[in-house]
Amino acid sequence: MKLMHTRLPDFYTKIEAAAKQNDPNMGFSVSGLENVKTAKLASLRVGRVEDEITEIIEDKDIKKVEVVLATENPETLYTVIIKGIEEDGTCKKIILENMMLSAPTVETHLFGVKEIIDRRANIKK
Amino acid sequence: MKLKYRIIPQGAADGMVPLNWVFIDKKDVKECGLTDLEACYAVGKALGDDCAAVDIIDMDAVTVTSDGIMAPGAVVGVASVDHGLINQNYGYLNISPLPYSDQMIKEEPHMKQWLMDEYKGRPLHRGPSAEDRGNRGPNNENMTMTGRIANNNCGSEVMNMVEMTEILAPYFGIHEIMTDGEVTIGIAGPVVSVGIGMVVSERHGRIFGGKNLGAYRAGMSAHNSGKYAKTVKQDYPAIAAPKSVLAEHTLRAFDIGLVAGRDIGCSPAVLSLAKAYGKPIDLDNITERAWIELESIGITREKLEAPSNVMSREEVIAHADEIIPGMDGAKKYAVSDICEVRYVEI
Repeated sequence: MKLMHTRLPDFYTKIEAAAKQNDPNMGFSVSGLENVKTAKLASLRVGRVEDEITEIIEDKDIKKVEVVLATENPETLYTVIIKGIEEDGTCKKIILENMMLSAPTVETHLFGVKEIIDRRANIKK
Repeated sequence: MKLKYRIIPQGAADGMVPLNWVFIDKKDVKECGLTDLEACYAVGKALGDDCAAVDIIDMDAVTVTSDGIMAPGAVVGVASVDHGLINQNYGYLNISPLPYSDQMIKEEPHMKQWLMDEYKGRPLHRGPSAEDRGNRGPNNENMTMTGRIANNNCGSEVMNMVEMTEILAPYFGIHEIMTDGEVTIGIAGPVVSVGIGMVVSERHGRIFGGKNLGAYRAGMSAHNSGKYAKTVKQDYPAIAAPKSVLAEHTLRAFDIGLVAGRDIGCSPAVLSLAKAYGKPIDLDNITERAWIELESIGITREKLEAPSNVMSREEVIAHADEIIPGMDGAKKYAVSDICEVRYVEI
């Protein structure tokens, strides 16, 4: 099971379906992976997220589900690929470089929220 | 019981300070019977919905600047607080004392300063141990992050990641804050931008080096950015000590025989002081890449080799403002004019 993975478009479809399972007018948005065009996501986590969305919409006060994917480590290491392109579009030369990026942490989503249930694994608590 | 803390609030120094920066004396933390982390939470709670970078300083310890000059006092813990929260994995970083060893003195010649009478026997804190770094990965810097705030390089570069602002404080600036002295606040400019990169190699250094020695040794530039090094940090505000303070401590390193560009970094400040004080500079040990950066701000081998009047210790310190190149448009402030002392009930 741990090796099974869900296609990125299927993830989007599944979580929206979960949000709207009782009410097609339930508001829904997902953000955080805008730059990722193709990917596979851990299936067991997709199932858990669908189940957790189901739990969220049980509350009749909830009118919209917002799903945000943020990096667990707020200081992410990127590889910068600097490409030199020829007139015909061929890439002739590449220099690879590191880029450390420090972004606002998960706490920016938590301020003032009444109930926070942390089900993340492998997090020091 | 109340915990005392110092805060340079956002907007201080004629608007130059872009975010709250808190400094807590380790002695005050101990007096309140708190851990360093508990002290950070207490201050975070006192700030309500606001955010701040937090440094905890042990004034009885010693530390080392990134270019290898030993200084009294040390940052022993750093945190980022926002809305009273501290991120569980990345929000706090302890900086443990480093044990003395003959190997350290051999591999890190600038550490001979630790054997001087004024520093001998005092605990040394520079960068965190592997245990201090906790869940941080090998690619994580010595940084804390919570919400909007990041506190990097063991409490010397703090940022608001939402407003994308930042301010620097080389360690001697922090020492002035803790001793109610005087600071200079200005825009870092090209000289400071280049100087920040001229580091020494250490294990568990403030910025570089963990279990292994940092890859950048004296004579090299960690920026390694060629003609762009003078721009990489030039636009950020910085809080520095008076140049006479920097001169006094740097001359001590020269007095025990440490050589600029070999044992201590080749920053513009170190090179300028060595030249004025008539002390040797290992010009051949300064790498070609470092020379590109130095030359971009007008420091050339030719100028350093040219004959010049050698000054006494007293003269160098008295003329430090003219000798050491520094920030752009900097203004002097009494710490009491920019820094508030506050108390939080424990």
